[in-house]
Amino acid sequence: MAAGVESMNIVTIGINHRTAPLEVREKLWFSAEEIRTTLPLMRERWFSECFMVSTCNRTEIYGIPSISNDLPAVESLGQFLIDAKSAEGHVSRNHLYSLHSASAVNHLFKVASGIDSMVLGDVQILSQLKEGFNLAQEKKTIGIFLNRLVQSAYRVGKRVRTESRIGEGAISISYAAVELASKIFENLSKKSALLVGAGETGELTARHLTGKGIGKLLITNRTRSKAQDLIASLGGSVADFDQLTNTMTEVDIVITSVESPQPIVTASQLSEVMKRRSNKPLFIIDIGVPRNVEPSANAIENIFLHDLDALLGIVDQNLEKRKLEIPKVNAIILEELKEFYAWYSSLEVNPTIADLHTHFEEIRQSEVVKHVNRFSSANDKELLELVTKRIVHKLLHVPTTMLKNGHEEPDEVKRKRIHILRSLFGLNEDANKPS
Amino acid sequence: MIIDVLTVFLPLLYGATVWLYAKAFFGDAANAKGFKTPLLVLTVVSHAAYLILRTTAFNHPPITTISEIMSLIAFSMGVAYLVIEFLTRVKNTGYFILIPAFFFQLGSSAFIQDLTKVNPVLESNLLGIHVSAALVGYTAITISAVYGFLYLMLYHNIKSKRFGVIYSKLPNLETLERMSFVSTVLGFFFISIAIVIGFVWLPKAYESFSYFDAKLVGTLTVWVLYGIGLVARRMLGWQGRKIMILSLAVFVISFFSLTAINLFFTSFHNFY
Repeated sequence: MAAGVESMNIVTIGINHRTAPLEVREKLWFSAEEIRTTLPLMRERWFSECFMVSTCNRTEIYGIPSISNDLPAVESLGQFLIDAKSAEGHVSRNHLYSLHSASAVNHLFKVASGIDSMVLGDVQILSQLKEGFNLAQEKKTIGIFLNRLVQSAYRVGKRVRTESRIGEGAISISYAAVELASKIFENLSKKSALLVGAGETGELTARHLTGKGIGKLLITNRTRSKAQDLIASLGGSVADFDQLTNTMTEVDIVITSVESPQPIVTASQLSEVMKRRSNKPLFIIDIGVPRNVEPSANAIENIFLHDLDALLGIVDQNLEKRKLEIPKVNAIILEELKEFYAWYSSLEVNPTIADLHTHFEEIRQSEVVKHVNRFSSANDKELLELVTKRIVHKLLHVPTTMLKNGHEEPDEVKRKRIHILRSLFGLNEDANKPS
Repeated sequence: MIIDVLTVFLPLLYGATVWLYAKAFFGDAANAKGFKTPLLVLTVVSHAAYLILRTTAFNHPPITTISEIMSLIAFSMGVAYLVIEFLTRVKNTGYFILIPAFFFQLGSSAFIQDLTKVNPVLESNLLGIHVSAALVGYTAITISAVYGFLYLMLYHNIKSKRFGVIYSKLPNLETLERMSFVSTVLGFFFISIAIVIGFVWLPKAYESFSYFDAKLVGTLTVWVLYGIGLVARRMLGWQGRKIMILSLAVFVISFFSLTAINLFFTSFHNFY
């Protein structure tokens, strides 16, 4: 690794939601066990360090080629992945992308930040990245470079989550419904919900409510067995479909997701429900198309009726807010890239600085040995050590600072400076390579 | 003199606190979020020192002039909000509560006088407790009304599917209702104390005392109305929009009736 940041010897090869549809991506999905098997094989063939991230939206390999400047071709590594998953015929080279050097680092930081995710601001990606890193550590395919790179990527992810609002606000219909429930009720664990019907979004909403610790979940369906099937995966208990009015009197949240040409809940029915429940607030999420609840019911006091359009409105609004945060995220990525490059550059200049200091120290020590006997007292000898060390330290201060602070300069200037310095002082050129 | 310095600085402190709470509510300033509560604590502590210094320097509790009363109201609003914020951990509503406090202190600082000679009856400590309890009580019901107002704003935003700043920044409806209720209970409690002390002390202090005095009748009416509201909530299970409208209506009635009584009726019950 003797070059500058533009030619950093790192490569990433992968497939993601931008380059391939789900049916193709899933063919290259690696389980933890498969990653454990694959990492040592890749290290053996191409890399001195490598790790792999595999999620439902992306599979990516980050590696440091073991032979300098000899980056593995997408063809060979891609073919290796396809073969490893027996995905020939499903995945083609066009589905794969490869990035090198600074672009690869930039890409990893974007992934960690969540702005490269299918769901903008996705918070799960950081833990998936961590899982990939842990597997690589377990298989000992992580070295100093990737260790530092992944730590920087974590920092990007953490900073983005604390310093920006990219992960805030629900961006799915089902989660928007739960978010809305949290704007009405203080503590969902003290509330109960009723799911009417077995529609997919309704089920997902009930699942989110369960995840948020809803106190009690009831499920009702015209076909009782369908409700019982859902109970098996969601928990809760089955309510009689014929007793809808009674059940609605007892719960705080109602989710309707029924295929029906006519509304299954009328405004007059809900007026009766509100009387019976002493006007306690009732939140109704109507996900049915056509709508399951008469829209005029929203006029009833303490009834909060929201349909698909209202929830889509929340989702769109939150998505716009997240998009507005992208410049802030990019600024964080830029800051972390600079810091990473500074560290990387120090790998280049550190050997020269060390050589320079060693060279001067050797000269100092040899001169001190030659002349130390001219000084009789122990105090004078001590003073000689001190003074010569100080002189060397002061002489080296400016060139050391200049080398350390030069990481923002063009590579050519930096390399020229290192070369001149090494030539002037006769330093061994081979030492200018980080291990 | 420290009192003069604080007279000038207190409105500035309240203004800065309101500004930080507004920035935290309407914007996303991380600094404002971090500094607003500490600044409020500093403001309230400075205000407490100011009131103590005035009491010591002028030898009477700061309840002898309208300006002193206004300063006391600002102080009690600051303290009450700080306690609510501490108890509920809801930190997004300070702007709405502290803005009246700022204007009360601004008005007080503009017109306050340093009186050393006052009616001897006003130097009584019992009067201090009576007035302080009444002020804390009225402050609490004012805060209750603010939360009631915020509840109704959020209620209508959710009902009409408007998901803007009000929706995203205010706490949930149940929390707002609870905060309004707790404030009402506190207000009712302190007004009860003020009434009890008043009935014990006022007849002894004033020869012209009358149970039919307009201010007494007005205060008792406010107390009874709030009492009815609390009973309705407890016994009839009223909640949500209805109880919030009732709370706001009682507050508006109280505010206008007590203002009218102060302006148009003569009373033995005037301290200034």
